[in-house]
Amino acid sequence: MRIQYSYLKNFLNTNLSQKKLSDVFTQVGFECEIEGDLIEFDITPNRGDALSLRGLEREFYAYQSKKPSQKIETSSLKLSQDKKVINQIDGSGCGNYHLMLVKGLQKIKNLDSKKRSFLESAGIPLINPLVDLGNYVMLELGAPMHVFDLAKLTLPINVRFPQDKNNSVTVIGGDLKDVQQSSLTIQDQSGIQAIAGIIGSEASSVSLSTSSIAVEAAFFRPEVIVNQARKYGLATDASHRFERGVDPELQQPALERYLFLLDQIAKYDSVELYYSYSKKTKKKKVKLDVARFNKFSSLNLKTSKAILILKNLGFRLHAKSEKNITFNIPSHRFDISLEEDLYEELLRSYGYDNIPISKPKAGPITNNKRTNALGNLRLGLVHSGFKELMHMPFVSRGSFHQLNSNGWQPAELQNPINENEPLLRGSLFRSLFAAVNSNIKKGHMSIKVFEAGNVFKKEKNDFSQLLHFSGIVYHHEPPQTWSQRVLVYDFFSLKAEISKLLQTLGMQNIEFQKASSLAPFNENALDIYIGKQKIAVMGEIDLSVTEKLIKKQAYGFVIYPDKIPSSSVNPKIVKTSKFPLSTRDMNIVLNKSISYEEVKSLISLAGIKHLVSFNLIDIFEGKDIPKGFVSMTLRSTFQSKTKSLLESEINSSMQMMLKLLEKRLNAKIRS
Amino acid sequence: MQIPQDLIETAALKLKSVHSEAEFYQLRAEYLGKKSFVVNAFSKLRDLQSDKRVNVAKELNILKNNLTKLFETSLEEIEGKSDYKKLDVSLPAEPFLVGSEHPITKISQKIINYFTPLNYQIFSGNEIETDFYNFEALNFPENHPARQMHDTFYLNSSSKTEYLLRTHTSNTQVHAMLNEDLPLYMLSPGRVFRCDSDTTHLPMFTQIEGLVVDEDVTFGDLKGVLIDFLEDFFNEKMEVRFRPSYFPFTEPSAEVDIKFGKQGWLEILGCGMVHPNVLNGCNIDTKKFRGFAFGMGVERLAMLYYGVADIREFYSSNLEFLNQFLS
Repeated sequence: MRIQYSYLKNFLNTNLSQKKLSDVFTQVGFECEIEGDLIEFDITPNRGDALSLRGLEREFYAYQSKKPSQKIETSSLKLSQDKKVINQIDGSGCGNYHLMLVKGLQKIKNLDSKKRSFLESAGIPLINPLVDLGNYVMLELGAPMHVFDLAKLTLPINVRFPQDKNNSVTVIGGDLKDVQQSSLTIQDQSGIQAIAGIIGSEASSVSLSTSSIAVEAAFFRPEVIVNQARKYGLATDASHRFERGVDPELQQPALERYLFLLDQIAKYDSVELYYSYSKKTKKKKVKLDVARFNKFSSLNLKTSKAILILKNLGFRLHAKSEKNITFNIPSHRFDISLEEDLYEELLRSYGYDNIPISKPKAGPITNNKRTNALGNLRLGLVHSGFKELMHMPFVSRGSFHQLNSNGWQPAELQNPINENEPLLRGSLFRSLFAAVNSNIKKGHMSIKVFEAGNVFKKEKNDFSQLLHFSGIVYHHEPPQTWSQRVLVYDFFSLKAEISKLLQTLGMQNIEFQKASSLAPFNENALDIYIGKQKIAVMGEIDLSVTEKLIKKQAYGFVIYPDKIPSSSVNPKIVKTSKFPLSTRDMNIVLNKSISYEEVKSLISLAGIKHLVSFNLIDIFEGKDIPKGFVSMTLRSTFQSKTKSLLESEINSSMQMMLKLLEKRLNAKIRS
Repeated sequence: MQIPQDLIETAALKLKSVHSEAEFYQLRAEYLGKKSFVVNAFSKLRDLQSDKRVNVAKELNILKNNLTKLFETSLEEIEGKSDYKKLDVSLPAEPFLVGSEHPITKISQKIINYFTPLNYQIFSGNEIETDFYNFEALNFPENHPARQMHDTFYLNSSSKTEYLLRTHTSNTQVHAMLNEDLPLYMLSPGRVFRCDSDTTHLPMFTQIEGLVVDEDVTFGDLKGVLIDFLEDFFNEKMEVRFRPSYFPFTEPSAEVDIKFGKQGWLEILGCGMVHPNVLNGCNIDTKKFRGFAFGMGVERLAMLYYGVADIREFYSSNLEFLNQFLS
C-alpha cells in the first residue's frame, strides 16, 4: 500500500519526518520503503486491518500509548430493512450487506485536488467522482465500496452463489467473464451485477449521466473471496482487502462517511440506507496469563502494563481473575484468536529490541554422520581437482529421456517457468555438459567439475528423490608441459582417481563390474560395488547423448552416497608380518576375449599360499604374439606371517598359479 | 719461511679419494681453513724482513689461488659424481587442476559449523513434498492469502495427494517434530523452489532453517543464539534489529535486520516462536514444550559475505567466477 507522506502526516497530526515515520511503522511491524513523497507499506497478509489511514493511525497512536486526537466526520443515517431492496443474502459468504440509495444527484463536482492526488499516488486511477469517493473512503477507513447506477438496477438485490453452471458477466472495462459457481455474486432481477468483492458489471456501472446511485458496503467472508480474484485475473484493491478481512462493523460508518463527503461535491434529493445480515459475528474473547507470557518472553511485565498496552490497541477488558485476564478482541483484528497472538501484541508494543537476550543453549548430544560423510566425499572430489557446480533441476523432455537408461518416469511440473523445461532432472549430466560447453567456448581447455544434487522420478503413487554426486573430466587438448611428458587423462586415470577417493573414504573392498545400464556412458563403463550394493558408476561419455554440447572424449562418474553402507563397527587391526615381501613376475599369453577381471578373480579366489597381492604390470599384443591373443605380465607378492619364505615355497605358489591359469583360462607361459 | 713444494700435489692426491661433500669440506679446511699452512703463512709475513716479504707474499698468493682453483674444480667433479642432477627448481609444476567447493556450499557449511557444536542435528529432507508438510502442518490453511507469499511449483500426479516442490525447508521440521524425540535442536539446510524469476529472484535457492523445541525456551533464547550466530558469521560485533513480522508458523514472528556498512539496515533472516497450532499438529504438548525457529537465505548471506552483486552468478558454472572461492 502506497501512501503520500504529506497526506499521512496531516491525517496522523504528527510532525515526524518521512524517514522517522517510516522507522516507527517498520518497528511496529509494517515494513516501509520510501519512494519520493511516498511511503510504501508492506502490510503482511494477517493485517488487513492496517490497509487504511485509519488502520495506520490506530497502530501509530497505540505505539505512543495515546488516543487519536481527531474524529472523522460523518453524516448520520437511519438503517432500514426492506425485502424490496435487499431480498436475501447467503450467510455462508456474506455477513452483512448494506446498500445506500442516493437519488436526484445534480451538480456533481470532482473531488478536491488533495484527495485526487492522494488517490492517484496510491495507484488508484480516477474514474468518476462518485466512484473515486468510494475508493477514497476505502483508503481512509478500510471498507471497500461499490457504486452502482441505481437506474440500471432492477431491485431487489440477492447476494448468492450462482445456481446454474453457465453464467457470465461483462465486467467494468468490457471483458466478458465466465462466472464460476464458487464465486459469490450480487444479482438483481436481471442477473449478475457484480462478482462480490472483486468487480462490478459494465451494465450497472456509473457514468457521467448517472443521477441516482446505490452504494454497496458489505462484509464478505474472507474464505469465499480468497483466490477468486486470481481466477479471474482481476486482483483489485477491494479483493485484496476482502480476502484479508474487512471489519464487519465498519459498513454503516463508511457509508455515512461517503455521504458526508458526497455533500461536499454534489446535491441530491434523497438518501436511504438498507441492510441485511445473516447473523451477527460472535465477538472473540482471548485469555492472557501474564506470568506465562513473562516466561515465554523472558520479560517481567506487570499485569497493569499489559492491560494498558492492549487497551491502547483497542482490546477491551472483559474479565479479570487471579490467573487470567480476558479481552474482547476488536472486530477488525482477524489475526487474533490465541493467547500467543496477544503475546505478539505485547512484545510489538514493548519493542522486540528491548527483550533481554540469553546465552545460546545446546541440545542433547547428537551426531551428524550423513552430513559429515557427504562433506568428506565432497572434499575428496575437491582434493582430486574437481570444482563444484550448482544448477537448476529443470530439464526438457528430450534431455530427460536421452539420459534415462533406467526407464524412469519423469516428475513433471504443472506450472514450469519455462515451457520447454517442464521436467525435473533424472540425471545431473545435462547441466554438466552445458557447463563444459560454455567454459570451452570461453577458451578454457581443461575442465573437471562435479555437482551434488537430487534427481527425481515419478513412482506409481508418489515421487522419489535420490542424491547423486556426478562429475565429468574433459580436456579439450591434452595438457602441455615443458617436460615433454605426455600427461594422459583417460578412462584408467579416472578409475584410479575414483578408486583412490573411495578407498581414502574408508571403502577398502570396492569391486568393479561391467556396467549394467549405460547412459550417459558408452560401453566403456563400470559399476562399482561394495558387496551387493552398487555405489557408483563411471565411464566414457557417450557423445551422442550430449546434445552436441561435448564433441571430444570425456569421462564421468556418478556416486550414490546414500547407497554407501555406513560401517558401525570399529575397524579391527591385525598384527603385521615381520618377514619380508617377495615379488615375482609371470608372463602369460591368453585369448584376447578373456578380461583381466577373470584372471584376477581366478587368482584371488584360489587361495594361493602366501600370496598377499596381485597386479597387472604390462599388457601387450602384436609382435611375437599370435593374432587374437594378448600377453600379460602379472606381478605377485608373497609373504609369510611366521618366517622368511624359501625360494622353493615361492616357486611352488607360482607353479600353482600357472597351472590354474593354464587349466581354467587356457593360458600359456610366454617364453 | 719454507713453502712446501708438494702441497698442491698432495692436495690433488687426497682429493681423488674424496667421495662426499663432507669429506671434501674437511679436506678443504685442512688446506685453506684458519689452521692451514697458507693462512698461517700469511699471518707470519709481518715477521719477515721487508725485502723477503714481497717475494714470499707473491709466492703465497700464487699457491693460494692454485689451491682454491683445485678445490673448485674438484667440487664440480664431486657434484657431478653424486646421483642427483641439479635442477632448475624454478620450473613450473606439471599442469594440475585445483578443485573447490561451490560458494553456496561454503557458506552453508559456515552456518552449519556454528550450530553443530550446539548439538543441532542436520536434516536435509525432501525437495518434492506434499501440501500437508509444506503448508497445512505449518498453519497455512487452504486458501489463506499467506500461501500467495509462496509462488509454488506443483507436480502432475495421478494420486489424490497434492505434490509440490517445497517452498521452504520448514517441511523438514514437521517431519522431525513428528518423528524425533524431544528436546529437538535441528537445522534443515537445502534447496527450495518458488516459481518466480527476475534479477533478484531465482526459481531455486538455498535455505537453512533452524528449530528448537525444548522446555522453557524463550524469545530471549532465540535472540541470543541469532545475535551470537550473526557475529560469528561476519566475525565482528553486529548491530542487530528485531522487528515484528508475520509467518503463519510462528507467533510472534520477527524479521532480523543487520546494519551493513553504507547499505544501512538489511533484512537478513526471519524467525519467531513456533506457533502453537504447529506444535499441537505435531502432537507436542504445548504446556510442557515451546519452540523457536529461524530461517535464512544462503545466497543472500553469500552475496553479502563475498560482495557478489548478481545472484545468478552462483548458478552460471562460470569457472572464472568459481576460481575465486578456493580458500
